[in-house]
Amino acid sequence: MEWLAIAMFVCVCLVLLSGYPVAFSLAGTALLFAALGVALDIIHPVLLKTSFSRLFGIMQNQTLLAVPLFIFMGVMLEKAKIAERLLSGMASLFSNKPGGLAISVVLVGALLAASTGIVGATVVTMGLISLPVMLRSGYSPALSTGVICASGTLGQIIPPSIVLVLLGDVIASANRDAGINADPVSVGDLFAGAMLPGVMLVVFYLIYILLITRLKPEQAPAIKQTQTESKLDWASLLLPLLLIVLVLGSILAGVATPSEAAALGALGAILLAIYSKEFNLKRLSSVVHSTTKTSSMVFMILIGASIFSLVFRAFGGDEMIRTGLSNLPGGVFAAMLVVMLSMFLLGFILDFIEIVFVIVPLTAPALLAMGVDPIWLGVMIAVNLQTSFLTPPFGFALFYLRGVAPRDVSTTAIYRGVLPFIAIQLLMLALLAVWPQLVTWLPNVIYG
Amino acid sequence: MRILSKIAYKLSAASVISGQSVSWLTLLMVLLLSINVLSSWLFNYSSILLSESITWMHSANFLLAAGYTLNRNEQVRVDIFYSKMSFRAKARVDFLGTLLLLMPLSIFIIWSSWSYVLLSWRIGEVSAEAGGLPATYLLKSLLIIMPVLLLMEALGQLTTSLQHWQKNTSGPDKKLPLSKSEQSANDNSQEQP
Repeated sequence: MEWLAIAMFVCVCLVLLSGYPVAFSLAGTALLFAALGVALDIIHPVLLKTSFSRLFGIMQNQTLLAVPLFIFMGVMLEKAKIAERLLSGMASLFSNKPGGLAISVVLVGALLAASTGIVGATVVTMGLISLPVMLRSGYSPALSTGVICASGTLGQIIPPSIVLVLLGDVIASANRDAGINADPVSVGDLFAGAMLPGVMLVVFYLIYILLITRLKPEQAPAIKQTQTESKLDWASLLLPLLLIVLVLGSILAGVATPSEAAALGALGAILLAIYSKEFNLKRLSSVVHSTTKTSSMVFMILIGASIFSLVFRAFGGDEMIRTGLSNLPGGVFAAMLVVMLSMFLLGFILDFIEIVFVIVPLTAPALLAMGVDPIWLGVMIAVNLQTSFLTPPFGFALFYLRGVAPRDVSTTAIYRGVLPFIAIQLLMLALLAVWPQLVTWLPNVIYG
Repeated sequence: MRILSKIAYKLSAASVISGQSVSWLTLLMVLLLSINVLSSWLFNYSSILLSESITWMHSANFLLAAGYTLNRNEQVRVDIFYSKMSFRAKARVDFLGTLLLLMPLSIFIIWSSWSYVLLSWRIGEVSAEAGGLPATYLLKSLLIIMPVLLLMEALGQLTTSLQHWQKNTSGPDKKLPLSKSEQSANDNSQEQP
């Protein structure tokens, strides 16, 4: 019976590789196997009908209500060119210093966290805006592309990112299932836990850039301020910052739920767009349509993953993974290592959302039952996947940047550029593994 | 055959229109939820009716836009291989996927939801929350309407992908350069690093 679960998992991977949309591949393949299960008298058809309550649960999930609202906020900031102005404002602030452009890319990548989280958007935006400027200013192609790829993935780990909302919801229900940790986990906890590691990553990136400006100054030169754009527009720099700080602050301070904060953030983004005279009906219409398509895409994957895991569970796959992980020689450490490595490898073909909805619900309950801290687990997963998306030859960020980079930037330059950042990521993972307090300290201070 | 494909396009267009109209619910959600939060901060009053209606809008938004999203090719794909496939191979994947995965899934969702939705209508189910919205059966009915819209879009997809699939097999004339340019356009944007 478990062999059917394994066969199903392998088949799903193969079907996914064909390129048919993920949501329907997950559920469709699972249903073909479910039909087989019913025919072999392994699955009772009534069990399959419980999918209704799962789907209805997704519709009523109050945590995930934050997803379309955060997407709205991000798309609005992007389409009203507020993100773009933030980037050029930052650049004009720092560009007369050695390495200044690279520094502004890192900082904007970190700040734009709120507006992305779906892999690719930031990499593409920054690749289009910053890469040409950096190359023209004499930055080495490797450093420029490396900085852009790495900063583009920062959006996932720094709250309030959409993937942290999704991950928070999945970890919370896995925690309920495991039934060991009495304390319920919330998205706010995960945001708080991800804060310090996120800031540390930004600092590490900055230290690396400053090191380069000392060791190889020709790779990251300062730019003489001759352009007219050097006149700094403080409002375009500070207002988006204020918006993001307010959204995040209100969640961490507990005065608003993530959904409420996201709605206010989206309203703030609309007001910012009006203030910047970038608001019109056509743009608003394109924002609501693009928000809807992204939201629908995310939730259809959730529906597909939910039907997949229903069938997987019916075949006893859950139980198999649970016993497999808890019987590993080496205990919690080995189990954690196995899960992290498989997620890293799956990160080459699957996006963050799919891994969060399919793989995390399968593995997290077992790990939590073994005593792993849920918030720490969430942050480890996020940093791990971020690393996976940077790793050649399959990392998502590299694909996206290759798509928008000029032809004369060689692919090997991109690979060479991200290597130091992968090293930083691995260092971060090691630090988190040795000192879980880096994650758990802030949530404890805030929430007690 | 031509009539059939015409009908398929009409159905697909209807599913697109449904998705485009529910898109505006996102704006309404932003505004209503903001109002609800601000009023709870300022006047210590927030409406359960309002917050439930936001949940309803959210559900209607992502469910009724599923076909539209598929139509605009924004349902995420694992495109390591797909992006490199020929025009015809892509059409083949889409045709088989629609027939073997999407359509059975839609029918399954209708089958599994049917009795629950029917029951909800029969007992005139209302919200479990005091002061919540009446007519929960309308909300549950979305789980019938969504797969129906998906099926409508699926028929459109079947027709289009079948035509694309056959185009290149039957006539290697003027259609071939089109597929090549399509392919090279994809290579430009999605080339493996």
